[in-house]
Amino acid sequence: MEPSRDTHATLVDLLDRILDKGLVINADIIISVAGIPLIGVNLRAALAGMETMLKYGVMQAWDEKSRAWEREHRKKNLLSLIEGEEIALKMYGSYYYSKGIYNTWRPGYFYLTNQRLILYRQDFEEVTFQIPLEEIKALVTREEAHFVKGKKKQVLYLIDKQDQVHRLSTVETDQLKDAIEQILVTLGLSLEVSPVLPEFEKGPIDFLTEEEEVTHRGEKVWYLVPASGIQQETRRPGHLYLTNKRLCWWYDFERKLVFDVPVDRIVKVNTEMKKTSDLDSKKEKVLDILYQANLTKRTSSFAGKEIDEWAEALNGIISGKIGEETETCPQCGKPAPAKKLLEEGCSSCGWVSPVSPRLKQRTENRRQRTKKITA
Amino acid sequence: MAEARYLYCIVEGNKEITLGDIGIGGSRVYAIPFQNLSAIVHNCLPKPYKSEDQEKVKLWLTTHAKVVEVAWEKFGTVLPLGFDTIIKGDEGIAPDENLKKWLRGDYENLRQKLAKLKDRAEFGVQVFWDPKIISEGLIETTPEIKKLSEEIKSKSKGLAYMYKQKLENLLKKEMEKEADRYFKDFYEQIKRCVDQIKVEKTKKLEEDKQMLLNLSCLLFKGKSKILGEELEKIEHLKGFSVRFTGPWPPYSFV
Repeated sequence: MEPSRDTHATLVDLLDRILDKGLVINADIIISVAGIPLIGVNLRAALAGMETMLKYGVMQAWDEKSRAWEREHRKKNLLSLIEGEEIALKMYGSYYYSKGIYNTWRPGYFYLTNQRLILYRQDFEEVTFQIPLEEIKALVTREEAHFVKGKKKQVLYLIDKQDQVHRLSTVETDQLKDAIEQILVTLGLSLEVSPVLPEFEKGPIDFLTEEEEVTHRGEKVWYLVPASGIQQETRRPGHLYLTNKRLCWWYDFERKLVFDVPVDRIVKVNTEMKKTSDLDSKKEKVLDILYQANLTKRTSSFAGKEIDEWAEALNGIISGKIGEETETCPQCGKPAPAKKLLEEGCSSCGWVSPVSPRLKQRTENRRQRTKKITA
Repeated sequence: MAEARYLYCIVEGNKEITLGDIGIGGSRVYAIPFQNLSAIVHNCLPKPYKSEDQEKVKLWLTTHAKVVEVAWEKFGTVLPLGFDTIIKGDEGIAPDENLKKWLRGDYENLRQKLAKLKDRAEFGVQVFWDPKIISEGLIETTPEIKKLSEEIKSKSKGLAYMYKQKLENLLKKEMEKEADRYFKDFYEQIKRCVDQIKVEKTKKLEEDKQMLLNLSCLLFKGKSKILGEELEKIEHLKGFSVRFTGPWPPYSFV
């Protein structure tokens, strides 16, 4: 094979070299524009990226300058401290923020000072969480499931003097806990020894079997516990959990599952207004679940604030039994029911099948919008 | 008005000669000697050449290339400069003074570079593949992919679509692996035939082929035959093609 010099393609190869390469000269003596050494800047833009220039070291000084500028302007939104306050520890982490329907882990930097513990988000100049150190009553760490399946994370429960519980998480949770404790000691403050974690708002979930995942949960639900022995049937407070395998009810007081039915045994759900207490004549919405138990059918009754949501979730399961075959998402590989994947897309990565009604709806919406705009 | 010097290349020797009116815009190209080095320049205004007109720019670039080429033939070895390298003067300092100051300061370095490049030329080697042909081959030879592509046929329309995406992802991964493997093989193969080698960024092409490998190679002017033979082997592989360009002045090795 012979090298060639005169076709169109080879010309491009040569011009690339002339624009991008060649001996590099000390920038002091060559013509430059606004501090940028000029080697065909306007021409180069079309043919090569900034990166190439950096590679040859021509623009390092300039690059350094713009970075310095960036650093300078970022300093402005640093956390403002109280007089005499000193930062003892800074650590990346997050705070579980829960208000109304909004609950999520909000990330930022934890600043531990000699006066406060603060979670600060620099980009938004927002203090997400802060507490004066003397308000801390107790600290407990606990291992919890990470949102990445199979991973665990250490969560730090901070209990304040009002018995409010805050959930914090950092890359080094133990280190943060140790640091807080040390500072408290130097301040002459002490924490409660072996504290008991107050019941967490939505109850603990440690009854899950392997590959079991909670798909629906909610506020407190009252279960009509069947009569046994001298005990009459009574409504008791607890929490309902719907998983990919069963529907179960956790009895908060005894801290155990009392009601537990595989989802494929559920036959029918029904909602009705009923009197739920002998002391009160007021009627309340009640959810009755008909399910197959051994050879007979049984009904269990639940009451609570979110009965409609529960009925919807359970009806979804009953009607969704067809097409329950699991598939994995083509984008991220997460297993999910095939029907759900096709109709709603993947809940973990956001993949949507082009045949899904959701996507159709989306594109339809967009079309309507553009129509409006053009009109 | 102040003057400046447009710099084409550095050569060995100290004769005050003229190469003729072959420079950009028909300007006279001549040598400014300093000790045993000379700078090949033309006189210009202290402002860069720039234009929105693509054809004009192309003409400038080819002229630049031509001047470097002429000097290369005349002097044997050159240190080429990129387009639009213009030495300016400062207050009370002529551009020639600045130029000589730089040559003095960098003298040893430049001499060494020239010695290293003696009798050598630069060649461009670019290897492409046709992703269509390669992926067709991969479907046949990778059991996992083959199985998946068979399965698609028995699936409903919606599921088939999902499987198709899965297949594409899998194929993409395999293609990347394959590209990696070929890159290493070709690189080793070519490296054995050349003096120095530089990996350049691959570029996207509009055509139905992907650039797999983009190399600049430095070798003795007369030794391109061995490299050519090696490249022929690659060219003959199914789905591959090679672009072999040169000899160029050693733009990439200065």
